[in-house]
Amino acid sequence: MQDGALEDLLRELAPQVLGALVRRYGHFDTAEDAVQEAMLAAAEQWPREGRPADPRAWLITVAARRLTDLLRSERARREREDRVSSWTLPSDRLPPETASADADDTLVLLFMCCHPALTPSSQVALALRAIGGLATNEIARAFMVPEATMAQRISRAKGQIKASNLPFRLPPETDRTDRLQAVLKMLYLIFNEAYVATTAPSLHRAELATEAIRLTRLAHRLLPEEDEVAGLLALMLLTDARRPARMSGDGALIPLAKQDRSLWDTDKISEGVELIETVLARPPVGPYQLQAAIAAVHDEAGSAEETDWPQIVALYELLVRTDPSPVVRLNHAVAVAMVTGPAAGLALLEPLAADRQLARGHRLHAVRAHLLEMAGDKDAAGQEYEEAARLSTSPPERHYLKTRAAGLRV
Amino acid sequence: MKYMIILSGSQQHYDSMAGKDNDLPTWSPEELDAMFAFMNELNAELESRGELVDGQGLAEPALTRRVELRDGETVVTDGPYAESKEVLAGYWLVDVDGIDRATEIAAHVLTCPGPEGATEPPIDIRPVQEAAPDEA
Repeated sequence: MQDGALEDLLRELAPQVLGALVRRYGHFDTAEDAVQEAMLAAAEQWPREGRPADPRAWLITVAARRLTDLLRSERARREREDRVSSWTLPSDRLPPETASADADDTLVLLFMCCHPALTPSSQVALALRAIGGLATNEIARAFMVPEATMAQRISRAKGQIKASNLPFRLPPETDRTDRLQAVLKMLYLIFNEAYVATTAPSLHRAELATEAIRLTRLAHRLLPEEDEVAGLLALMLLTDARRPARMSGDGALIPLAKQDRSLWDTDKISEGVELIETVLARPPVGPYQLQAAIAAVHDEAGSAEETDWPQIVALYELLVRTDPSPVVRLNHAVAVAMVTGPAAGLALLEPLAADRQLARGHRLHAVRAHLLEMAGDKDAAGQEYEEAARLSTSPPERHYLKTRAAGLRV
Repeated sequence: MKYMIILSGSQQHYDSMAGKDNDLPTWSPEELDAMFAFMNELNAELESRGELVDGQGLAEPALTRRVELRDGETVVTDGPYAESKEVLAGYWLVDVDGIDRATEIAAHVLTCPGPEGATEPPIDIRPVQEAAPDEA
């Protein structure tokens, strides 16, 4: 078996094996360690000795054995007692798990990783390990922190889950909506992390986007009736489709309007568009679906000039109603300017200047500069570009803004 | 999100810690031990929470070597700072959920024990440059 195929298989099986173990024996924290060790054993043995007939059963058996060992030594450490022989696990007497139990288990794990007691960064780390099947050093590399730091974060998160005594089942119906929101947010955070521009760009960040899409696809398969899950998956696909065109050879960011659209991933676009069209047909339409719909309009335009701005304005108007955050209102103003003209966009920017966080950043100034330039007010636009450049913290962006300012002076 | 929590201090601060007489209150060995214990405990706490990326204390400013270009010539100066000039003395690089948590850590650092009458220079928190790109 090829390394890549083996890795894919193991990572697909990881949450199923963990779910099966926790369902039978509890001990989420120790079971998670046992599964990681079983996966390591498989990665080492299978290429040499051949893949077992039922890889999942093999992993469950090995992980259960390992769990017994771990529990034994834990218990010995804790109690210094020799009465460990009572720890016999009836793994051979249990009926085989059905496919639907696997699905439920993975879903329970997903909700578990988004336990309200955990901080967002812990939720992300734990989900990547427990459901994504990534090793701690891979997660640490992707987030650019030392492996020891990530190991501590994960073990603390597991300890918190253990301390909460959460039963291994889906959250009660009354909490489902809130808990699902937390799951979606966690998945979105993983995806977003891949798109955060840093001074030390890392190839591993792209893998995070792929992983976020894989996990969201899994969530969508498990919760096909939840339209916001489909919306989030569509949003990720439609955004990630543009990744090959987002950066120039020398690492500079290329704005949407200037991207070479022939580089966009058409498979991802058609999948995303199909997903979003299906769910948009049945209201209510949530914020992830609206953002995906906006992304779809951009992706479907053959060129920046062909963008269907009136439709984008309509979508932003719906989005502002559910999510009136400054960034959404800023984007709404841009869309309005594209349809009605720069004056209308500038008018919408006025009340945003009162927002403290927005006022301190470069974005508001960059947008205002852009709209003033559209309006033909070169002097004011130049000043706003300069101000935006002064406030920007990203060297490539500052360079871009300075170039725009200089362009207006000639 | 990553933040650098920055401690500053002058050569005078370092000297007062080393027991030398100057305008600042002198640290006794017990006070130094209490400070180290406090810092070790904080580091262990940050480590156990999975928040510590790195943390270092820097040697005294007098050991600084400055390298610069002057009219195309490389000029090297040892100990370029005035005694009272506050410079980087140490830092923690933490990966936490937001600036509020970083602020909490910094506020805790300010409660570090020290000699009577000692004033702590302010602590600065600088976000590591991680700007999300503009995208419609």
